[in-house]
Amino acid sequence: MPPISRGFHRRREPEPDQSRIPPGQYPTWDFPVLSAGPTPHTPTDGWTLRVDGAIDEVRQWTWDELLALPSETFTVDIHCVTKWTKLDTTWTGVSLDTLLGDVETEAEYVVAWCDGDYTTNVPLEDLLGGRAWIVYDYGGEPLEPEHGGPARLLVPHLYFWKSAKWVRALTLTLDDQPGFWESAGYHDYGDPWREQRYWGD
Amino acid sequence: MARAAVLGRLIGRLAWRTATVREVVAESEHAVTLVLDVTDWPGHRAGQHVDVRLTADDGYQAERSYSISSAPEADAIAITVERIEDGEVSPYFTDVIRPGDQFELRGPVGGHFTWSVSDGGPILLVGGGSGFAPLMAMLRHRAAQDSDVEVHALVSARTDADALYRDELAALGPAEGLHVAWTFTRGGPPGWTGYTRRVDAAMIAEVGPAPARAPRCFVCGPTPFVEWVTGLLVDAGHDPQHIHAERFGPTGGRA
Amino acid sequence: MSGEQRQLDGNGVAALLEELLGADATGLVRVCAGCGQRHALGAHRAYRGAGWVLRCPGCADVAVVIGVAEERLTLQTRGTFAIPR
Repeated sequence: MPPISRGFHRRREPEPDQSRIPPGQYPTWDFPVLSAGPTPHTPTDGWTLRVDGAIDEVRQWTWDELLALPSETFTVDIHCVTKWTKLDTTWTGVSLDTLLGDVETEAEYVVAWCDGDYTTNVPLEDLLGGRAWIVYDYGGEPLEPEHGGPARLLVPHLYFWKSAKWVRALTLTLDDQPGFWESAGYHDYGDPWREQRYWGD
Repeated sequence: MARAAVLGRLIGRLAWRTATVREVVAESEHAVTLVLDVTDWPGHRAGQHVDVRLTADDGYQAERSYSISSAPEADAIAITVERIEDGEVSPYFTDVIRPGDQFELRGPVGGHFTWSVSDGGPILLVGGGSGFAPLMAMLRHRAAQDSDVEVHALVSARTDADALYRDELAALGPAEGLHVAWTFTRGGPPGWTGYTRRVDAAMIAEVGPAPARAPRCFVCGPTPFVEWVTGLLVDAGHDPQHIHAERFGPTGGRA
Repeated sequence: MSGEQRQLDGNGVAALLEELLGADATGLVRVCAGCGQRHALGAHRAYRGAGWVLRCPGCADVAVVIGVAEERLTLQTRGTFAIPR
């Protein structure tokens, strides 16, 4: 047991409902900016989102087309592998059920490709059933670049490194293909409730 | 090294040790120096830093890095902490911690940003804000060794009240081989006739030493400051291989 | 450095590198596969995501990825490193 530093505590607001905090996590009231590299600044002019890979045909949306799709505003808790949890974050975006709804595929996995060359992998079924979105607003305002704007993937039931910032393409794959952090020691799936942070967890 | 993922083991030399606060010294309006007793401290070179880790009673931990500001010859190690508004850790160090309190510390680390008297001179030290801490360790080491190695130091601070180690630096000189200059970018104290502007090419040229003498340069401070000064040094003709920099920057959203 | 301000170059992960490699590694020079420039690891830009990433200051090419877990560290390296004998 390390020595306790008398009088030190994390910044506190009213104590949250502990049942919402996964094991090993601590609530935060700010929104830490974490990244594998410098923040890209991608103009929405010329921005596209592709869905490709092992599917019937490639789909692509421009920024205007994305914003014209049916969207939702919703509130979720998010959990970072570096141990902070932020409760009640509000986002606006398009459900992956809308984007992938009519896709014909035998693929079981998805790789998200992003500006800045970041990648992450997620089982296809984890993106469906109302569990994932492409979001472009946070807290009622356009998503800032440092938090992934213009648009990011949001998969709140997994550790937040899976909610890939600056997403530009989703490639459906037959086999699981570990992404950036998954290739560097982090868990392939990343369920915060089973504390799947690292390889072998 | 091949492209590989290697699982490493924690190495004993970098294990966390217990640091006990011996003294808390007010360094400026916004900063304190903590004098620490550390179990089994292996000694350090001037310029190195330590990682510290605080543990709250609910198990929450926070880690930060601080440069060692004390000379290797001192009988305790010292770190200087500047209070950041809304910071999670710095207000604890500047406002709460008192002698007898403990936290964990490991190190020293960082072999590339170090200097000792035996490395010789001339050297140029340029520090912005609390970035001067590791450079102060170098100057204190030089004083402890009674060395007359030629050192040119340039300290950039917003105002006199923000300048760390002001009195001690003033007391070190005038001394054989030591040249200290300050620039107060938001105005100097009453009667100040020194620099009152951002570091620029003319200031670098006046502070010296000249690039032709191939001094080693140590630059430390916030990232924009370090990148600016490093650029000035390279433009002036200093060999990039002789420029050592240590950058730190905004907390990136974590208040 | 003053700890509250996040360390942004390789010097800030000196302890992790030393744990992994057994000696101070901030002086190790990497020859960048992207731009060909040579830079010491201590001069690389450091980013904190899930773990740490060191990138070439010349072209942002990924040089080192460090995974940080309680019981172990993982190290992924890309590119060529010159290690003096």
